[in-house]
Formats: sequence, structure tokens, C-alpha cells
Amino acid sequence: MNILIGVLQREENEYLVVLKDGKACLDLSTGESTEKEYPNYPLLKDRNLLIKGDPVSGYGVFRFRYGPVTSGLREAGSFSLYTYGEKILHATIDLNWKHREMEESMTGKNSHDAVTLSEKVCSNFAVSHSVACSIAIENAMGIRANTIVRNWRTVLIEAERIYNHLHVIYKLASAAAQKVLASHLSALFEESLRINKALSGSRYLMGINQINHVNFLPDFSTIKKIISDYQNLSIHFEKLYKHSLSNPNFLDRLHHAGMLSRNQALSLGLSGPSLRACGLKDNLNGTTGEHLISLPVVTQQEGDSLARMETRAEELVNSCQFLIDHLKVSDIWDADSEAERPETKSQGEGVGISHSPSGAVGYYVLLRDNRVLHLRMFTPSYPGMHAVSEALKEQVFTDFPFVYDSFGVHFTDAAC
Amino acid sequence: MNWWPIYGLKRRLTERTAYGSPVTVGRIPASRFGRSLFVYVIDVGSSNALNFEIDALESPQYNIHRFGIYMTDSPRHADVLLILGRPVKAMIGPLEETIDQIPRPFGIIVLDDCPDNSARLHYADLPNVIAEFKGVPDPSQLLGILINCLSVNRK
Amino acid sequence: MITQAEFGLAVILFLSGALLSSHRKATYILAFAASVLVLLLGVAGFTSNGTFWQYTLLPGISLRLGLDRLSGIFMVMAAVVWIALALYSLDYSRLYPHKSLSAGFNISLLGMLWILTARDGFTLMIGWEVMTVAAFVMMLASGKYYQQSFRFLAFGEFSFIFLLIGFAAMYISSGSISFEHIQRGGMLFMVFVSLGFIIKMDIVPFHGWMSGIYGEIPDTAAAVLSAPVTLMGVYGLERIIPAIPNSEAWSLVLIVLGAISAFWGGLQAVAANKVRLLPAYSTIENNGMILTAIGFYTISKGSIDPSLHYLSLFAQAASLVLALSHTLSKTLLFMSLGHAKEAYNVHTIDEARGVWSGVGKTPALGIVIAALSFSAFPPLIGFVGEWMILETIFQSYKFPGAATAFFAAISGVLTAMAIGLISFAMIKLIGYTALGYDHGRKSQPMAKTWMRITETSLQLLIIACGIGLPAVILFFGYPELLSGLLGVPKPLALVSGQPLFGIISPTFIAIIMLILIIIPILVFIANRKAVRKVHSWNGGIPLDEQEFFTAQAYSQILEHILRKVYRTREVSLGMHRRIEVEDILLRPIRSFTKLVQKLGEGEALVIMNGKISAYVTYILILFVLAFVIGVIVM
Repeated sequence: MNILIGVLQREENEYLVVLKDGKACLDLSTGESTEKEYPNYPLLKDRNLLIKGDPVSGYGVFRFRYGPVTSGLREAGSFSLYTYGEKILHATIDLNWKHREMEESMTGKNSHDAVTLSEKVCSNFAVSHSVACSIAIENAMGIRANTIVRNWRTVLIEAERIYNHLHVIYKLASAAAQKVLASHLSALFEESLRINKALSGSRYLMGINQINHVNFLPDFSTIKKIISDYQNLSIHFEKLYKHSLSNPNFLDRLHHAGMLSRNQALSLGLSGPSLRACGLKDNLNGTTGEHLISLPVVTQQEGDSLARMETRAEELVNSCQFLIDHLKVSDIWDADSEAERPETKSQGEGVGISHSPSGAVGYYVLLRDNRVLHLRMFTPSYPGMHAVSEALKEQVFTDFPFVYDSFGVHFTDAAC
Repeated sequence: MNWWPIYGLKRRLTERTAYGSPVTVGRIPASRFGRSLFVYVIDVGSSNALNFEIDALESPQYNIHRFGIYMTDSPRHADVLLILGRPVKAMIGPLEETIDQIPRPFGIIVLDDCPDNSARLHYADLPNVIAEFKGVPDPSQLLGILINCLSVNRK
Repeated sequence: MITQAEFGLAVILFLSGALLSSHRKATYILAFAASVLVLLLGVAGFTSNGTFWQYTLLPGISLRLGLDRLSGIFMVMAAVVWIALALYSLDYSRLYPHKSLSAGFNISLLGMLWILTARDGFTLMIGWEVMTVAAFVMMLASGKYYQQSFRFLAFGEFSFIFLLIGFAAMYISSGSISFEHIQRGGMLFMVFVSLGFIIKMDIVPFHGWMSGIYGEIPDTAAAVLSAPVTLMGVYGLERIIPAIPNSEAWSLVLIVLGAISAFWGGLQAVAANKVRLLPAYSTIENNGMILTAIGFYTISKGSIDPSLHYLSLFAQAASLVLALSHTLSKTLLFMSLGHAKEAYNVHTIDEARGVWSGVGKTPALGIVIAALSFSAFPPLIGFVGEWMILETIFQSYKFPGAATAFFAAISGVLTAMAIGLISFAMIKLIGYTALGYDHGRKSQPMAKTWMRITETSLQLLIIACGIGLPAVILFFGYPELLSGLLGVPKPLALVSGQPLFGIISPTFIAIIMLILIIIPILVFIANRKAVRKVHSWNGGIPLDEQEFFTAQAYSQILEHILRKVYRTREVSLGMHRRIEVEDILLRPIRSFTKLVQKLGEGEALVIMNGKISAYVTYILILFVLAFVIGVIVM
């Protein structure tokens, strides 16, 4: 299945960044046939920081604004929920509060600084962003990263996936007032951040990935400890998760909350767990380019918040296992032979896609004299926010956190 | 799986370390805080690492409630405003409104997660700034700052 | 002698007020003077008892007017409200200077005076018809909304017809229609006369004419229709029903009907969004409770069991207290809402927000106090009335017989729910209309001195009647109900049953509140610091008007839970959405109205078809008929 990740304008032509068979491609847009082939083309073409801004009118209808400063969301972003009482009729999402103009700030920087800055776009997706950015720059330079770098990138991306999925499940549990479960999940979340620090020197795995290079590698004894920490994490999480599923209240709150049908998911251009929860497979797993053991693609059928949580829980456990297996053999990874390194170009264009915890992150980079001349980023939270707005229709207010938290999207990521 | 209380108590999650503060914390003018500190967190343009660190701070390992530190849901209940990140232009208005809503006396702690970025706006004339940290602090450092704030301002 | 003179003078004043209807101020001043005379007359009624005027119309039929205690009580209650409305109209009628309003006002008051002093059925019916027609004339003052006015007239005539049938039945079974011979009236008389009075009291399902009230009729007309007119229904029932022996079955019917009506009134008040519709349904609710109280009074009257005898006194006192509280509070509510509505020139509760800051403190306070009285907030008089009816129902276990217990239980459930629902509705009124944000709404300047004076006096009267409850109970003539207990000195406490069942003392509540408030006030004054005003907090940006919770959204939660009863429908047309609810008990009346309209149109088309030949035929037919009748008579 091909997914359209982004639409960009360069000179007089329109180009499409597409995920095809696990690879990032840059295609020329053909207008009408593009719309037929990719149902989310209109959404990506007119990128608007005010999502679904048209108001609802009617006798008794008013606009309940949630944000931009609330302790529930904490991020700077606002929801305008139109309602005539209990039910949300329409949700307008305003991303302007978090628009930090990262694309503009990365333009003109040299490629090294661009990758460093890309980690600051959304720090909990730091690895995904920097991997996508560095792959795009590497493509523009005409090189491919060596095996060690590719392997470590895979390890880091899965580590990022683990703590983000734990965070989503923690948020859903606290929204459902499962306080004990939430506290334990919060402990596991903190534990995973500490493992990150041991693995990479940074709790958010920042400052590690660079162009054809990783900055920090843990030594063997640290790796042994990390492996046993991940084993404990996985065991504890599985126990807690299985136990929580026996609570009918918890399940009842998530079941049928924020349902998305397959067609809706496709027309929004979702990727990642939100898409897979509707029963569709994407092949984002191959984007970093290296898996010793293929990670299974987890899907659910219902497309509601429970399905999205289930997808994430299963992925989490799979990723832990993957990391344990992968790290055990990390000492035998070989760099490609240095002599085979081709000449790097100092100008060119390239695209890169990586598999972030909430979907595909895409980058397009145009390099000149080793400087970024033009950069576009396509983050998974942008279609994700459209999905949140769509899924909030006809929900009652009390189900708001279940819908919003289950997509795992962030205003920081959507507004970039 | 064990009964919840047994399971939880066996885990022994809360740490028993002392938390030091990486920066000096000033005194809030006319402060009258007793044994608790109520913090309101506002994100004005951070890169989300700070948000996740606040979530991590609320985990059982740190157990901030034993120090009397609580996160509030409204600035009207707060003693200290914790500002995350450098402000986006659109957020300057809401930030000023939030500061207006905090009852006096109060203090502001600023966590600046991109200190090297000159392109971003810097704060102009924030009142009662008692501490500023450059970079993304670990939760233990953040907890140290808050505990220091409590002890400095205790009558 | 004096009573005759007072009565005659009052009649003359009312009539001249009606005649001088083009001089706005003069009419209302005359109405005021006449109402003061009625008040004095009512007070005189406490001591006198008997006919003071008689006029023989035809052999066997004479008109009799007289006074007794019951008339006196109702005359005082009505006159207080008439005085307030007459003075209020001095300012209000600037907005509605129509002659029909002032003339109708005076004549309907005259009709009510006639009803209250009637001593036999015929006189009562004359007064009834005068009141109805005059009220109809008042409703036409705005020159629009004929349909609602005609519907009111139709219901008024139904009520009159039932009274006619009832009194005819009484004549047939007892040979007289004087009130002294009521006990010989018979079943048919009781049923029809009750129906006649119940229709006037707005009991469900006869409440269809209430919809006329939320049209554009002037607020004084609405106030008159809601408070004194329904009071006449109560008076009629109080006078007639208890005097009839062996009426237990019918009393149970009245009890249940009253409770259903109370519940239905509360239910629809919750969904009401027009500024006048909510008080209209509140009238239905209150009158339902009064009907239940009268039912209990009747069912326990004449019992030899002393506790049931006490209960009958208590129930009658309950109906009178409820009538008093309703009359005062409803008039105050309509006056204050009228003031606010005219100042803002709007129709819905949502639009008429923030009266306290937008219009004035007096009407806002009027709305608050009237609404609190309806919500049973101590120590106001409404609290006493609703407590009394609930206590009456609680004591229904004392009645022998399973049927009474069963029906009383049902009525208790419905009454309790009614009180809850009406509180919900009244809070909407207080929270949005009286004390809400005004969003910068500007009110039109208008003359309001007399409006303010009358609103303030009624507010003080409601509070005074609550706090001075012992005086009210003594005024109604039930000194046995007052007692003292647990440190509350006699006679400040009202006891609901013998042996001791329940007891309240709003007087004592007020005294305690006054004492206890001293310390907080002293503390507040001592610690007063500079106050800093900020916007309300909503995410860092001040709220704008579209972001405020609407009154409809407030009610929507109940409209959704009880959607089967309200027939709640969600209408969606693209980006336009709304909720529609319905009062399903009005459906029969609506279909009946449509049927009548169709028949009328059909008939009109057939008969008045514009052809000369048809009209000539009619003339010939009439000619022939007149000829035939003349022949027969001869």
C-alpha cells in the first residue's frame, strides 16, 4: 500500500513524497490522477494551521474553547469544541500556538546543524526526525549510511517507540481514572527513560544520530545491563497490561470511543498505529533499512481507542523483544568496508522517511554547497490532528481524553 | 498477578536520594509558604522534552507529593509558575494573562530549552523570576530546584 | 353599611377607570384606589359574615353578594397583587398605551371582585364571564397574536360551560344555587364545577391556553392571567369542594391530577427557553400542588380521628400558603421579567442575560427572590408552601384504605420530582437572566420609578411573609398549627402533624442567620484587602460571548436523559445544528385547533361563498323561520 506523506512545491512543479514498498520516493504530481490515487492529497496540499476551522451555527450552539493554556493538554494548542450541551458536534484545532517555524530555522544551516535542529522539532520523536532528516541529506549527498549506523538507528528508533507507547498507555490509564495502573505505568515510563540514558547518554536519545555517524556507543557491560532492564520492563508491562484488561470499566471507557473507519483513515492519510488499528497494514518497518529479525506488523480491526491502545501494547512488547535480541548481537556488527565509500556530493535533493511511534515522518532536503537550501518536513501529527478532529464528532465531552490521547499526536509535532 | 497493594509495595519504587539544585533559587518577595509548594506548568513553545520530563517527574520514583510539591490545574491555585520553553509570539498574550491570574505573592521558574537559539524570542520583563535553567533538566535536577525553592522560601 | 359603601365605591372606581382608558395614568390610579378599597373590604370580611347586597333578577333567581372569612382571605391576597400591578402599570403602560389594556385591566379586576363576593352560582358565573372576556380584551392590546388570545377565550368559555352545567345540576338536585346549599349539590355538580375551576387553574391537560402567554402580550396582562385569574380557580375549589360530603373518590382524582400537573409543569419548565414560557409552566406546577393540597384537605375533612382532623387543617393551610406564595412570587417574577424584557427588547432567556448589571439591581433582585421562592429556599414563603405540601403527603399513611395510600404515594413521587425540576428551571433563570454576564448589552432607558417601588415592595413582602410565617398562619385562621419546640418559643414554629410529625420555623431560621452572619461580617471588615479583578480563566484568553454556555445547553442534559418524554430531536442541516423538544400534552389541543380551523374555513367557503343567490336564500329561510316561530308562540 502506498501512502502519500507530503506535497511540496518546487519551482513550478509539484512533487509528492510517497512511501512505496517501504522506501521513500519523490514523484512528480499529475494533478487529477494524484487525487484519485491518494485520497489525502487535498489535505496535504493545503496545509493549514487551523484544522477544520468552519464554525457550527444553531440555536443553543456555543463554542467551548479548551486551551491554549490548560493543565489537561499542557502543550500550547487549543480545541474549539462546538456543542449544544453534552455532545461535541465539531472540533476545530488551532496549531498556531506552537508554530515555531522550524523549517525556516533549519534552512541555511549546514547539514550537521540541520540534523541537530531536527531533533528539536519534537523531542519525543527526536530519533525519528533526525533519522528521516539524515537519510534525506544522505540521499542528497548520494551516500548510504554504513551498517553500524543503520543498525544503531534501528535500535534507537525502537527504543523511542517503547517509551512513547508507554506514555500513551499511561495517559489513557490516567484518563480512565485507573490510578494504580497509571502509577505503575508511569514508573515503567520513567524506567524506560533511564534506560535511554544508559543506551545513548540522553534521556530522549538526542544528540546521537548524525549523518553517516553515531556519536555515542555504550560498552558491552552497559549493554548487558540494558538488556536485562528491557527484559524486566517487558515482563512487568505484560503483567500489568494483562491485568488491566480484566477490568471492565477500563475497557468500557475505551471501547467504541473515537471510532475511525478504514475509509476515513485512508482519506486522512494516517500511518502508524492509528492506521493499523483500523486493520490496514503499512510497511513503515523497512524505512530505516535494517532489521536482523523482521518486526511483525500488528493490526487490530475496530479502529477505536481500545484498538489503538492494543496495537501499541503489542508493538511495545515486540519492540522490547527485538531490542533484546538485537543488542545481544550488537558486538558483532561490522562497518561496511571504508574503501567502498562513494564520493559525497555537496548538492542534490533527497527524501527520507522514518517510522516514528505515531506514523511516518518525512523530510525533503535540497542541498547546495553542503548547506540546506530548501527543507520541508511532513510530520505524522498533522494528519493525526485531522483524525482527532474527525474522531471527536458525536462524542461526549467525557470521552475527549480517550480520543485525543489514543492517537499519540502532539501539537509540537503538528505545528513544527 | 498479586493483589495490587502487595505488588506495589514489593516494587519499592520510590528513590531515597537527596536532590540537589543545579541553580540557585531566589526568594519570592513577601512569601508566606509553609510546607507545600503548588506549581502551575505552562508550555509556551517548548520542544516537548520538557513536557515529558514533567510527566516523568510525577512518577513514583520521584514521588513529589512526599515533599509537599503539587501540580495545580489552574494558575489561580499556584504559588510558582513553571514556564517551559521560549515563547512563540502567539503565546505571549496568554502568558501575560496567566501571570495576571496568579495570586500574589508568587514566583516564576523558567526552563529555557534552546538557550543557543538566538532566533527565538526571549522573555521580556517577567516579574518575580526566582530561577532560570538553560537546557532540559533531568527530573532529579528539576526536583532539586523545586525542593530548594521550598526551603528558601519557608518562613 | 360601610361594606356596601366600600363595595359600591370600588365598583364605580373600576368602571370609571375603564371608561377613562384613554387617560393612561388616570385609569391606573383609579384601579389602585379601587384595589385599596378591595383590600379594606377583605379585611372587613374577617369579622363579618353574610350577604350585604341582594337583587332579584327573575322569580327564583336573585343575585347575592356577601363576605366571609374565605372571601376575605382571597380578597386580601388578590388586592395586594392588584395594587402592585396598578402602580407598576403607571410606568409600564408607557410601552403599551393601548386603551384595551387599561380598560381590560380594570374590568377583569372588577370581574374578580364580583367572583370573590358572590354568594351563589349565578353571580359567580357573571363575574367569571366578565373576568374572562376582560382578560381576553387585555390580551389583544398588542394587536397581534390573535390565535393565542382566541385559544384563551375558548378555554375560558369551556370553563364557563362546565360551571353552567355544574350549577344547573345543582339546581336540579337541590332547587337552589346559593352557596349555603352546596352540600346538597350531588356528584354531577361536584365533577363539572371542579372541571370548570380546574381549567382556569391550568391543570394538565387543560393547560393549552397557557401558550398564549408567551406571545407578545404585555407583561401586566401575563401577570394578571397567571396569578389572580388562576387564584379564582383556587377560590372556587376551596369554597365548593370541601363542602360536599362523600367526595373521597373525587378527591383522590384531584390529588393525582394535581401531582401529575405539578410534575408536568416542572418538566416543561426545564426545557423552556423563552423568558415567559418558564414562568407559565411554573404556574401550572404550583397550581398542581395547590390542587393536591385541596384534595388532601377534602379527603381528611370531617374525620373523627384527631390526627386526621389536624391534617385537614394543615392541608387547607398548605393550599392557602401555596396560593399566597404563588400569587406574590409569580406577580413579582412577571413584573421583573417584564422590566428586563422591555429594557433589552428580547424574547429568550439566553438573550436576556445579565439583568443585574445590564438593566438594574431591582429587577434582578426581583427575579432572584421570586425564583428562590419557587425553588423552596428558606426562609421565603415558597419554601413554607412546598414543605407543607410534602409533609401533607408524607402523612398520608394515616388514611385507612389501600387506594388512598397508593395514590398518595404516586402523588408524593410526582410532587417531589416536580419541586426538583422547578428548582433546576429557576436556577436557569437566576443564573442566566438575573445574575449572568451581560456581554455589554445595553438596556433602553425607560421610566421605572413605580416599577422599582412595586418590585421592591413585593420582594419585601415575600421575605416578610416567610419570616413572619406565624402572622400569616394566624391571618389564615389556624392558630392550632403553631407551637413551640426545642428552644423555639411558641408560636414561632409550624407543626405539621399531631402527634408531632414535622416542624419548621422560618422566623427562627432568619433570626439564626442574622446572628450567625455577624461574625463573618466582622471578620471580613477587619481583613479587607485590596481586591484585584481579573477576567474569568479560560485557557489564557478572555472569554467572548460565543464561548459562554448557553441556557439551552444547560437544559440539554435533562432533555437528553428524558428524551422519550420530551420527544427530543436533533436537527442537522450541514453546519447548522439544533435540538427540538415538544410538550406532547399540547398535541391534542393543536390537532383540535387545526380541526376547528379547517371546519371553520370549510364552512365559511361553503356558506359565505359570495353568490347573491345563496344570500337571498338565507334571507328567505330566516323569514320563513321567523314566521313559523311567531306562529308557534302565538
